[in-house]
Amino acid sequence: MTILDVKGVKKTYVPRFGGAPVEALRGVSFSAEEGEYVAIMGESGSGKTTLLNILAALDRPTAGTVTLDGMDLGKIREDRVAAFRRESLGFVFQEFNLLDTFTVEDNILLPLVLANQPAGKMRQRLKPLVERLGIADLLKKYPYEISGGQKQRAAVARALITNPRLLLADEPTGALDSRATDELLALFERVNRAGQTILMVTHSVKAASHASRVLFIKDGELFHQIYRGDMDNERFYERIAQALTLLTTGGEKA
Amino acid sequence: MKGLYRRLAFGAMRKNYRYYLPYILACLGMTGMYFILAALSEGEILLSFRGGDIMRTILHLGCGVLMVFSLLFLFYTNAFLLRRRKKEFGLYNVLGMGKRHLMGVCLWEGVSVALLSILGGILLGLLFSKAAELLMVHLLGMRTDFRLRINVAAMLQTAAVFGVIHLLLLLHTLYQVARTDPLSLLRSESAGEKPPRANFLAALLGAVLLGLAYYLAVSIEDPVTALIWFFVAVILVILGTYLLFISGSVALCRLLQKNKRYYYKTNHFVSVSTMAFRMKRNGAGLASICILCTMVLVMLASTVCLYIGSTDSLMQRYPRQILLSARLGALSAEEEEALEALRTAALTETAQCGLAPENTLEYHLLEASVYRRGEDAHVAGTAPYDEESELWELRIAPLSDYERLTGETVDLADDEALYFATQGRVLEEETLRLQGGPALRIAGQAEEIPALGDDVANVSPVLYLFVPNFEEVALPLLALTNSEGSSLADISWTLGFDTDGTDQEQMLLYEDISQALEALKFDLPEDSYVHARVECRAEQQEGFYSLYGGLFFLGVTLGIVFLFAAVLMIYYKQISEGYEDRARFDIMQRVGMTRREIRRSINSQVLTVFFLPMLTAGLHLCFAFPLLYRLLILFGVMDFALLMQTTALCFLAFALLYTVVYRVTSGAYYRIVSGVGRGEA
Repeated sequence: MTILDVKGVKKTYVPRFGGAPVEALRGVSFSAEEGEYVAIMGESGSGKTTLLNILAALDRPTAGTVTLDGMDLGKIREDRVAAFRRESLGFVFQEFNLLDTFTVEDNILLPLVLANQPAGKMRQRLKPLVERLGIADLLKKYPYEISGGQKQRAAVARALITNPRLLLADEPTGALDSRATDELLALFERVNRAGQTILMVTHSVKAASHASRVLFIKDGELFHQIYRGDMDNERFYERIAQALTLLTTGGEKA
Repeated sequence: MKGLYRRLAFGAMRKNYRYYLPYILACLGMTGMYFILAALSEGEILLSFRGGDIMRTILHLGCGVLMVFSLLFLFYTNAFLLRRRKKEFGLYNVLGMGKRHLMGVCLWEGVSVALLSILGGILLGLLFSKAAELLMVHLLGMRTDFRLRINVAAMLQTAAVFGVIHLLLLLHTLYQVARTDPLSLLRSESAGEKPPRANFLAALLGAVLLGLAYYLAVSIEDPVTALIWFFVAVILVILGTYLLFISGSVALCRLLQKNKRYYYKTNHFVSVSTMAFRMKRNGAGLASICILCTMVLVMLASTVCLYIGSTDSLMQRYPRQILLSARLGALSAEEEEALEALRTAALTETAQCGLAPENTLEYHLLEASVYRRGEDAHVAGTAPYDEESELWELRIAPLSDYERLTGETVDLADDEALYFATQGRVLEEETLRLQGGPALRIAGQAEEIPALGDDVANVSPVLYLFVPNFEEVALPLLALTNSEGSSLADISWTLGFDTDGTDQEQMLLYEDISQALEALKFDLPEDSYVHARVECRAEQQEGFYSLYGGLFFLGVTLGIVFLFAAVLMIYYKQISEGYEDRARFDIMQRVGMTRREIRRSINSQVLTVFFLPMLTAGLHLCFAFPLLYRLLILFGVMDFALLMQTTALCFLAFALLYTVVYRVTSGAYYRIVSGVGRGEA
């Protein structure tokens, strides 16, 4: 079943003080199936982040539609967007984006509190989740007291606690050392195997090699895509690396 | 290289204008205000004015206060600026500038700010000094011309004082740059912040101190005690406020967080936890703002009240234009004769001046100091002082004088008395036993009495007794002597009258009567005496207005300075928090908070942070009120309603201004916070 459908999405920024309009996205189309693990790769300035912001309903496309779970994001009323984001989407960022004024526990509970869930129900959801992610004994700590890998796991817990339809990750391994990166990627794989749809924007070939499909974006357009098929991670890694070389040396569109 | 320092220094100041502009304005304002006060106090205008000495003393006091305050305040703001600049210094360091070079930049910056603010401040002061002079002249009831006087001595003084302050600021900055490692500064702003820990003990201590101060303020009845304890109460309030703002607020947030049902609600969750951090960072700043606000309010309320009430207290102190009074050792025929001579002398001089006395006031009083303890009153000097009694001034007057002066008729039995007590005191006892005399039944309290004179500002409470049989009550007291045989009580006689003359004529008359009194010789028994003196309201009023008007002037000017200091602190707080909240704002939006919810949450926090100091200042003022009332009694202002009105008005005006400041600075805050673009991450 198709969970995410992106059709002909364009985004043009008009500079505030005149000047030529900048086309960040020039018509991107793709879709993702339920339970898929999709990585989006591309160089800086290729339009990855713009695309992610549009998928997150933080930004609206100039043209084209994004349909999540049968719902057209462009048609959601402004005052429902936040609730939609809260209920259907989970976010993981490069810089973790934990609120430094909250304990780990409160950071994870934040989306539920915003959704006005009763305190009892929150505990019920929190407990199994933090045990699965191995952060059960960090709950009372503040973000500044824990390591980067732990912060990112807390951020994943915050993203997952609402059981979102789609987990959006923006360069999630970007600020982690190699050990923490491995741990996080293993975690994403486990979560995905349990049925969670994931869409991850990344620079890292290693991170992308854990996905089931990789999309390549160049200059605001979808350039290429590779399916894992029955390749193992190492083989897939090589294929992605080749595709990237092609991308940067300016090959023709696939 | 030299040019580079200058360019870097000026460039940084231009780029950080949001921080530098208010700082420079504050320097300018403080310098200007100091110059104005200095110029007024040294100016020739006060030389020609009777009572100018008092005004000069008050202005000197103001200069001193302003100097100390400027030093503290500019250090505070400079430290704030320095914190913001550390990151920039770190960057320069990475780019290859050594500490010496950074110091060069700081030197340029410090010297240019100092020059600009001292020269500009003096210029600003010059521009406004005429306005200030006119205000002062008006308050003091003097006259002046419209010439602009340029006071070089005051300029030098101002330049010296602020030159030293800026030098200290510069040394502090250089020390900071030298001491810290600029490389670590590059990261300093993003370093994780420790979560606030609630210090319940400190919070409790703060509450206890504040409670103690409030209790002192409310429970003290005696003005002199009030004066002594006033400063204790002030210190307690300051300590209590700081402790409560710094620890109490965090402790409160922590308690709220422990209550899961309250805490995990959308509108409490974010506010409570962010508040804990906000208060940890800003508790001291907010407490300072609160103290400043309280100072402004107390100062304005009391000086305005004093100034408005000054005519009243002048009238109370000098109930008639000319007051002739005498102290007598006894009240026999010889003294009566002497009084007649005084009376005649005064009236003759008045007639010779071509004036006619009117509105004449004449009365006798027996005066003594007594130790009161319950129903007993012992004349001071007859018995050793014991700790449980209180020193009162006793005045006994014939009831007939009271009736004649007030036009009322009072029916009293022979052993009864009507009383009046100053300082708003009330007699609780039903009878009063005077030493050596009969027990008097207290029949009632007089609402007010025609003339208080000196007793207006007597530090001891003064008890007036009006008795039907004056001789029987008064004479036994008059006979009392101390161990050395000198009399402990005496009779005072007062004759007061108004004339239709101008102030000038009244003062001439006063001179004439004084000379006539000196010429008078009395024929008296050996153990008796008649000490006569004359007072003139017109002669005293300038000193009076000089004191009250001067205090008012100082209250207003210092009030303005403190107020602007508070405003500046609020402004800095707002913009620095704006930058901190910006990132938080962005994250919350991503995890699914609507813009409206975020705005509401931030709004409520900003409102709390903003109005907490003002409301606390209001509370402080409420509790300070009884104490203020007692203190003003020492200045002869006893109008409770007036103090109430001026206090309420001052608070209202202040609240209005504060709200305007809030509107303006929260605008700056929202501009910073909403600078967050949707796509920025």
